[in-house]
Amino acid sequence: MSPVVQLLAKRLSISVIVLIGVSMLIFAIARIIPGDPARIALGPNATAEQVVQLRDKLHLDDSIIVQYANFVSDFARGDLGISLYTNRPVTTDIAQFLPATLELVFVAGLFMIGFGIPLGILSARHRGKAADNVVRVLSLLGVSAPSFVWAVILMLLFAFFLPIFPIAGQISDTLTVPPRMTGFLLFDCLLAGDLRAFADAAHHIVLPAFALSLSGIGQAARLTRANMIETYDKPYIEMARSYGFPEQRIARRYAFRPSLIPSLTIIGLDFAAMLGNAFLVEAVYAWPGLSRYGVQVILRKDLNAIVGTVLVISATFLVVNIIVDLLIAFINPRIRYAERSRP
Amino acid sequence: MRRTLSILLSNPLSVIGLLLVGTVVFSAIFADFIAPFPSHRGAVVDFSNFNQPPHWPNIFGTDLVGRDLFSRILYAYRISLMLGVVVLAIAVPIGVTVGLAAGYLGGWVDFVLMRLTDVFLSIPPLVLAMSVMGVLEPTLTNGMLAVTTMWWPWYARLAYNVTRSESQEGYVLAAEIIGASRLHIMFREILPNCVPSIVTKMTLDLGFVILIASSLSFLGLGVQAPTPDLGSMVAEGGNYLPDSWWLTVFPSLAILIAVFGFNLLGDALRQVLGADQ
Amino acid sequence: MNTIAKRMAAALIGVSTMALVPAGPAFAETVLRLDEVAVGELDPAKASDYADSILMFNVYDTLVLPVQGAPGLAPHLAKSWSADGNKHTFVLRDDVKFQSGNPLTADDVVFSLQRMQALGAGLSYLFANVESVEAVDDHTVSFVLKEAYAPFVSSMLRLPIVDKQLVMENLGEGEGDMGDWGQAYLSANGAGSGAYKVTAHNPQQETVMAKNADYFLGVPGAAPDTARLRYGLEPATVRTLIAQGEHDISSQWLPPEVLKALSKDGAQLLTESGTGGFYVKMNTTKAPLDDAECRLALTNAFDYGSAIKMIAVTDDVSQGSPATGAIPVGMLGANPPMDALKRDMDAAKKHLDACRYEADDINIEISWIAEVPLEERFALLMQANFAELGIKSEIKKMPWALFAEQVSKPENTPHISQLFVNAVTGDPDTLLYGMYNSKLAGTWQSPEYLNDADVDDLLEQGRDNTDLAARETAYKALNDRLMAIAPTIYGFDRQSVFAASDRVKVPALSDPSKAFGLDGMGFSFRLMEMQDGK
Repeated sequence: MSPVVQLLAKRLSISVIVLIGVSMLIFAIARIIPGDPARIALGPNATAEQVVQLRDKLHLDDSIIVQYANFVSDFARGDLGISLYTNRPVTTDIAQFLPATLELVFVAGLFMIGFGIPLGILSARHRGKAADNVVRVLSLLGVSAPSFVWAVILMLLFAFFLPIFPIAGQISDTLTVPPRMTGFLLFDCLLAGDLRAFADAAHHIVLPAFALSLSGIGQAARLTRANMIETYDKPYIEMARSYGFPEQRIARRYAFRPSLIPSLTIIGLDFAAMLGNAFLVEAVYAWPGLSRYGVQVILRKDLNAIVGTVLVISATFLVVNIIVDLLIAFINPRIRYAERSRP
Repeated sequence: MRRTLSILLSNPLSVIGLLLVGTVVFSAIFADFIAPFPSHRGAVVDFSNFNQPPHWPNIFGTDLVGRDLFSRILYAYRISLMLGVVVLAIAVPIGVTVGLAAGYLGGWVDFVLMRLTDVFLSIPPLVLAMSVMGVLEPTLTNGMLAVTTMWWPWYARLAYNVTRSESQEGYVLAAEIIGASRLHIMFREILPNCVPSIVTKMTLDLGFVILIASSLSFLGLGVQAPTPDLGSMVAEGGNYLPDSWWLTVFPSLAILIAVFGFNLLGDALRQVLGADQ
Repeated sequence: MNTIAKRMAAALIGVSTMALVPAGPAFAETVLRLDEVAVGELDPAKASDYADSILMFNVYDTLVLPVQGAPGLAPHLAKSWSADGNKHTFVLRDDVKFQSGNPLTADDVVFSLQRMQALGAGLSYLFANVESVEAVDDHTVSFVLKEAYAPFVSSMLRLPIVDKQLVMENLGEGEGDMGDWGQAYLSANGAGSGAYKVTAHNPQQETVMAKNADYFLGVPGAAPDTARLRYGLEPATVRTLIAQGEHDISSQWLPPEVLKALSKDGAQLLTESGTGGFYVKMNTTKAPLDDAECRLALTNAFDYGSAIKMIAVTDDVSQGSPATGAIPVGMLGANPPMDALKRDMDAAKKHLDACRYEADDINIEISWIAEVPLEERFALLMQANFAELGIKSEIKKMPWALFAEQVSKPENTPHISQLFVNAVTGDPDTLLYGMYNSKLAGTWQSPEYLNDADVDDLLEQGRDNTDLAARETAYKALNDRLMAIAPTIYGFDRQSVFAASDRVKVPALSDPSKAFGLDGMGFSFRLMEMQDGK
């Protein structure tokens, strides 16, 4: 066990360094914004004195190093400042919007694994045949369009022309939304024991999650296929075949498991991509998540909110990567003892 | 070279990829001659023929001020390709240099450079480009800058991995023994070994740069009207779904076709050059 | 079929059966669903845009209301009012209670005004002229102005009365005795006497309001029991939701094509007009627009006909009507409808020749507000129009927040800005003073940076005179002057068009004799009628 703990400790410490770097980078980006955030926040009718007051209050006239120091000490107290866009603490905003995004990305991740890996296996088992070619072309197509293109196409097909899915939002507004406990709507519905609300929320999440997952599905299928094919060429599979093991069992027991490990790494990376692409999908489906908030605050140059949002997204990404690394360590005994070069 | 080409041509998928890329590049270069309404790439308005579904001579229909959508898509390809080429032309040298230096020099150089790379890599690419774009004025140049910011770390990572494994090889040690300079070893000895993977990645990435750039302009952070741009066409047209479907469907397909073509071609190159990592 | 494929098929079937779960209404009460752009600011002292106005007019009450279908003001919280020089006195009703149960008194009016002035946000500039406010007794309040201001009573339309006691119980941290003036509390909760209570509020997503059974005027049974104001829906979403019967009233920001499609599908079109216009503002401090001749060249080259065509929704409904000058038709001082502005290329060329800049050297920056996609089309129209004169131009998209910041300096202000401006109280003073007074240059409404002594003088005349005829003369002269020096292209008179389902009747937005002539007031939910069985 201890090598795993060591790995965890090492990865965590590197993540902290990286996160500090991210905060400096994004802080620097946010502060070189041309235009006066105080004036933008106060709106069109503010007087010059009010602008000066707010600049003063936000310490905008201090040097960037002092500003960063203030930011760090506030951050240590769990304070990310007030969003000039919603007039609320950034932490409140993030707590409100992050769960919807995570839920969307999580369901998309399930789709990615649930469709991508089986498709890859299917393709590998029928290498060179029609099924393989179809899957290969489809998965490449999946990778070849930005999520917003899929979002628009799916919406057009399954919400407009064939209206079997709702086109926007997280839940029908005829339903009473269950009390907010975890912030994850699907989860809250279950906790409240409200199956109808759960079904409705699930119905709402299908299209956006699927649009978000398509490139991931393509990626996962391509990768699984490549790894499976590599494994299929290994001698122990030949041996299993010669013993007359059923194909089904060979695929599941012997070829699949070793192929899973590289796929997991990529899934971690794709998760990051999905956190970003959620910006595109949420815009199309009016999904009340952090990404929509992120676009708004970037357009409005709301410094505190920009820094907060990017930090939280990056932290989420780092956490997922650590989880993926640990998973791999558990699955593959060799890695438990070897050092990995990829952070 | 001839061998490469013949292998490429033997696979139907690669041929399709070549054809798609060829078509996209050709129509971008010769848009002036192919486009039925070349002036429609700029500020032209025709309120006697606006928001019309596909019909002759506007085979993809017309947009909200009466411009020919087909002509605009051709010109949009030109901009996208140009953006892709410029981004890679800047991102690749930066990334490769960083990766080579970190991988070969090791020590604190490695630590600092690669942690810096990690910082960039741990912000989701689109979010990073958006933050940069949000700061700058939305122009083509700044769009290139924003995409470049997020692109170089991938090449740094790639070059780093190759360098790390190559630097233990005999030829590098030999060069060191005869006293070759570090710069010489990095750029003359190791770099050529990175080239196949870099070329393959560049082909694939040309598609992905188009994809990211269109995502940025979809969010309203891209180039400005009246410059034709696929992402903003989709974003604008999205407001008029489902009635004016042609406004979104054709630009969407245009993105799909271009990126798909580059992906097919990149895949084929990867097999041929054996650059699989 | 192998197992994997079977499993996938099963998953797909699972997904599609979920689609069949009926989503019927959970209650039998009537629900009105409408949308506006984000964010909905609930704090009445910060209210500035349309969404905020809808919230404000339903959750809060004001001392007066506009008369329906005619100019003038009617009593509301105030029974009567009188003016003595610069002192305005209002007598309040004594039977009004806040939603909290606290009685509404003169003290609350004083507090609301002081709070408005202290926060200095939203439309507080309307009250900058108030020297002092005093509660004479429990139900009498008087305002003393620094200088004469004829339309003062109408500015009371923008002073929502806040429940002082409730706010004082919920003061947040801040400097001084008043803490944060209840900002934190009021941005999340209602503290008014209005016909609707806030039951849930998320500034980005939606505000839910329920009927206030104890409203002092009573709320008719036909009015919606619940109103859900949603924020930031995409046009395509609204279009489909209305077609599917899941949305009732759209925002006014839908592009004409979408309104057209909806009306073809049977949606009704509601309208609100007469309070503002579409103004193409020219920065008069930047070459070549510092020369009035060049500006006149542009105003004559603008294709007013195409502009009207662009915003037409159906044969009889349009998002605007031809402009006749700086003041919208129907407002005090406006020109009659037959004086519609027209394109005149010959005149444009003459003015351009008279301009001290050469057409070849001119490159004009045309900005458009990112939140209003229609403006991009106007930008393209202008670019094409000006090109016919040989004038080059560049189009620049600006998010609203950035625009409002950039205009604070003349050198950052683009040559051309496109804005929808309306009279916030229905009086021409609230439309024109902010736009053209040289002291107020450089706000979002005044990117012209106009500095013209005649205009300033006429604006003051409109303010000072209490005599209506004298005011009209002043505004007519002002209108002429603004046409002669052309700081602005008067694009069209704006009419807001909303698409609505047949589940709701909104007399204030469909019957001219019930119209309020004040933006957003038509959305008083208590005056709407939900149709049964639809």
